[in-house]
Amino acid sequence: MSSTLVKLFTVSRTGARAITPALSLVNQRFAGSAPKDGYIYVNNVDPSMELSDITDRAAQTLFVTEILRGFGVTLGHIFKEPATINYPFEKGPLSPRFRGEHALRRYPSGEERCIACKLCEAICPAQAITIEAEERADGSRRTTRYDIDMTKCIYCGFCQEACPVDAIVEGPNFEFSTETHEELLYNKEKLLNNGDKWESEIASNIHADHLYR
Amino acid sequence: MSYFGLDRIFKLLQTIKSYGGIRASLYKIYRMDSLRPGVLVGTDKYGNQYYENPSYFYGRNRWVEYAPKYGMDYDGSQVPAEWFGWLHYKTDFLPSQDPSRPNYKWMADHTENLSGTPGQYMPYSTNRPKIQAWVPLSK
Repeated sequence: MSSTLVKLFTVSRTGARAITPALSLVNQRFAGSAPKDGYIYVNNVDPSMELSDITDRAAQTLFVTEILRGFGVTLGHIFKEPATINYPFEKGPLSPRFRGEHALRRYPSGEERCIACKLCEAICPAQAITIEAEERADGSRRTTRYDIDMTKCIYCGFCQEACPVDAIVEGPNFEFSTETHEELLYNKEKLLNNGDKWESEIASNIHADHLYR
Repeated sequence: MSYFGLDRIFKLLQTIKSYGGIRASLYKIYRMDSLRPGVLVGTDKYGNQYYENPSYFYGRNRWVEYAPKYGMDYDGSQVPAEWFGWLHYKTDFLPSQDPSRPNYKWMADHTENLSGTPGQYMPYSTNRPKIQAWVPLSK
C-alpha cells in the first residue's frame, strides 16, 4: 500500500496525465477519484442520478435489506466463538521479558544479592528508588533501606539492566493493585518477600532469556 | 451429524457428565460464566485446578479453576508463581517438568493480593531513626 501511495504521490506531483488503468483503479479505491491537474478529490462522490441507480437505491430502502443483512451478521456472531478471554480464569500471553512488580532476589544459599552499589538508584529516571547502606555485622556491605515508590516508577526496566548482581528485577506479576497509595510504597522487606514468592517464575524468565543477555 | 451441529449437543451432555451432573454444571456456569470441556493437567498445592483444551484458540485454550474454598472470592492473583508461566503461555512445560524452575528451601508460599484486608502490606522504615529524642534524666 505504501509503495502505491508513493507512486500516487509522484504521479500527482508531476501532474502526469498518462496513468495506467490499474493505477487509476487503485486511486479511486483510496482517494475517491483520479487526480486531475495534480490534485486529488477527497470528498464523497455525489450519488449517481442514472435511473437504474436511483431505482436500486429506492428498492434497497423499501426492502430494508441493510437491516436484514445486519441481523444476519448479528445472528452469525451469536454462534461464533467469542474473541475475548474470560479473564480471571483465562489469561493472555505474556513475554518472559515482561516488566511487572519489582522483587529483590537471593542467592541459592538464601543470602540476599543486593550489595547496595546504588546503580539502580542512579539510573532510575523517575527517582523512585531510595537506598541507604551500612556495614553488616559480618563486614559485608548491605542495604538497610531499599524503598521503591511504585507510584513513581515508570516500569522502564533500567534498574534491572543496571544491576550487576541480578538483585533487583521486575518480576512477572502485574496483579498488585491496591486500594490505597501507601500500600505501593514498597520497602526492602516487601521486595525481598516478593522475590521469595516469585523466585520460581523469575528464575524461569531469566533462563528463557539467557541467550540474549 | 456434525454438518448440522448435532455433535455439539452430545459434547455438551458429555461435558455436563464429566463435571458431575446438572447441579454442579450450573454452579460452574454461575461461577465461571462458561462450561467448557477440558483435560485436567494439574493441581497446585492451594487446590487450584488447571485445564487445557487445544481445540480452542490460542489465548483461551488454558484456564484455571480456582479452589472451591475461595467460593466467589476468586482473584487473578491467586495463581502461584509455579503455574503463572504455563497459564500465561510463556512455557509449555508443566511446573513439575520444567528443568529451569529452582526449588530452594527459602522460597515462600504464595499469597494473593491482600489489599483491603487486615493482612495488607503497610510501609515502615527498615533502618533505625537518625535522630534520637532527648530523654531528660529525672531525679
